Amino acid sequence: MNALKKSGNHIFLMAYLLIILFPFLFVVFSSLKLNNAEIALSPFGLPKEFHWGNYVDAWVNAKINVYFFNSLYISVVSSCLTIIISSMIGFALTRMKYNKISAILYSVVLLGMLIPNTSLMLPIYLLLQKIGVLNTHLALIIPYVANAIPLSTIIIAAFMRSLPAEIEEASVIDGLTAKGIFARIALPLVGPALVTVFIMSFLGNWNEFLLANYFLSDDNLRTLPVGMVQFRDAKLSNYAQMSAGIVFCVVPVMLIYSVLQKQIIEGVTAGSVKG
Amino acid sequence: MNKALRNPMTYILFVIPGMLLLFMFFVYPLISSLYYGFTNWNGISDHVKLVGFRNFSKALSDPAFWSSVKNNGYFILFSVFIQVPITIVASLMIANVKKLQGLYKTAIFMPTVMSTAVIGILWGFIYNYDVGLLNKIIVFFGGQPVDWLGSPKTAMLSILITNCWQWAGFYIVMILAAILTIPKELDEAAMIDGATGLQRVRRITMPLIMPVISVVIMLSIAGSMKAADIIIVMTKGGPASSTDVMATYMIKYAITNFKYGYGNALSFIIFIFTMVVTVLYQVLIAKRAERIDY
Repeated sequence: MNALKKSGNHIFLMAYLLIILFPFLFVVFSSLKLNNAEIALSPFGLPKEFHWGNYVDAWVNAKINVYFFNSLYISVVSSCLTIIISSMIGFALTRMKYNKISAILYSVVLLGMLIPNTSLMLPIYLLLQKIGVLNTHLALIIPYVANAIPLSTIIIAAFMRSLPAEIEEASVIDGLTAKGIFARIALPLVGPALVTVFIMSFLGNWNEFLLANYFLSDDNLRTLPVGMVQFRDAKLSNYAQMSAGIVFCVVPVMLIYSVLQKQIIEGVTAGSVKG
Repeated sequence: MNKALRNPMTYILFVIPGMLLLFMFFVYPLISSLYYGFTNWNGISDHVKLVGFRNFSKALSDPAFWSSVKNNGYFILFSVFIQVPITIVASLMIANVKKLQGLYKTAIFMPTVMSTAVIGILWGFIYNYDVGLLNKIIVFFGGQPVDWLGSPKTAMLSILITNCWQWAGFYIVMILAAILTIPKELDEAAMIDGATGLQRVRRITMPLIMPVISVVIMLSIAGSMKAADIIIVMTKGGPASSTDVMATYMIKYAITNFKYGYGNALSFIIFIFTMVVTVLYQVLIAKRAERIDY
C-alpha cells in the first residue's frame, strides 16, 4: 500500500518534471532543425541533421554576442555595487552605535520592499533623463542597484546582527577603527551572505526586461532579453534561428543555476520569508 | 569599544549612498508621480498645467482601464486558486519521497531563474498556431488547432498558464523548505496513534505550514499586481486589449501616447490598489495564520 502511494507520488512528479523540461527540449531540438517546415512536420522528433549554422547566425547576425556582453557587464557591475552599498548600510545599521537613527533608517529600507517600483517607471524615466544618463548603461545600472538594495540590505543586516560582539571588542583593542572592522572583520565573516546577495541580484539583473526595454534606445547598448524580443519580432518567420537565440539566453543561467543551485534556493527562501 | 563604533563621519559615509538611492528611486518617484498625476503634461513641452482630479476621475471611469484591472484580478485568482493548490500538492509529494527528491527540487525551480522575456518568447513559440508544440499535440489527438495568443478568448488563459509554469517552482521550494523543517517526531507520533497519511497532512503538516502558505499567497498577489513584462513580450496587451493589465495599460498611455500626466495618475492608482490589496490580505487573512512554534 505504502509502496503504491510512493510510486503514485513519483508518477505525478515525473509528469510535472516532463511539463517543466519538455519546452526546453522542444526549443533545443527546434534550434537544430533546417527550417519551419521541419519543425512543423516533426515537432517531437530529433532533427534529421544538426544545423549548427542557426547558432552562428543568431550569435553574429542577430547580434546576440553584443547583447550578451552588455548583459554581462551591466549585471556584474550592478551586483558588485549592490553588495558594496548594502553591506555598508547593513554594517552601519547593525553594528555602529546609533540605535535610534538606525531603527528609522532600517524602516526606510523596509519601505523600499513594499513599493512596487514597476509602477514608478515613468518618474524614474524622467529622473534618469534629468541627470543625463538615459540611453547609457548607467540608466540600467543605477536603478538595478537601487532596486536590489532593500532585500540585499535586509539579508546582510540579518547576518551582521548575528556576529558576536567579542570579535569587535578584540579588534578595537587591537586598534581597528569602524572602517577597519567593517573591511577586515565584518565583511569576511558574512561572506556567504554576500555570495547569496550577489547571485540573487545578478540573476535579477540578467533577466530584467521592462526597464531595459524602455530606458535604452540604442540597439548596441541593449541587453539580452530585450535583444531577444526584438530578434523574435524581426525574424518572426525563422523559428529555428529564434530557438538558437533562446538557447543562448537560457544556457548561461542554467549553468550558473546548476553550479550554485543550493545558494540560490537558500537565498530565495531566506529572502522571501523575511520579506 | 563604543568610541570606535561611534564615528559620525563613518556612519554617514556608510549610510549615504544607499539612502540616496532609496530616496531617488522610491520616495522621489512616488511624490513626483502624485504631482504629475494632477497635471496635463505631455512629457516633453514646458507647458505644465494643474488639472486637479481630472486624470484620476478619467481613469476611474475608463472601461478600458477597468478591463485591465479585471485582468490583474484574473492573475490573482489564477495564482491563489490554481497555482497555490498545485504547489502545495507538489511540495507534499516531494517531501514524501526519498528517491530523486534532489532532482525534483532542482528541476522544478529551473523556470524561475529564467528571464520572463525569454520564457515569454519560448511559450509564444509553443502556442504558435502553425508550428507550435501545443497545436501539434492537439492535432495528434484528433482535435482542431487553436489560435492561443491570437484569440481574445484564449490569450489571457495562455498567459496565465505560462506565468504559473514559471513561478510554481519558486513557491514549491518555499513550501518544501517549511515542510522539511517540521520535526519528524510529530508525524511519527501521529502515525503510532493510527492516523492515516491524509489525516496527518490535514491535522499536522497543513496547520504547521500555514504561515508559509500565507507568505506564498501574499507574494503571488504582489506578483500578480506587478505582472507586465510577460504580457508585453507575449501579446503586447492584445488582441484587442484583451490581455492588458494595469501596468501595460499605463505604459501604453504614457510612453506610446505621450500622456505623461494621465500615465502618472494611473501609476499612482496602481500603487494605491496594490497597497489596498496587500493590506486587506494582511488584515483579513494573514493575521489568522499565526506563527506556530514547535
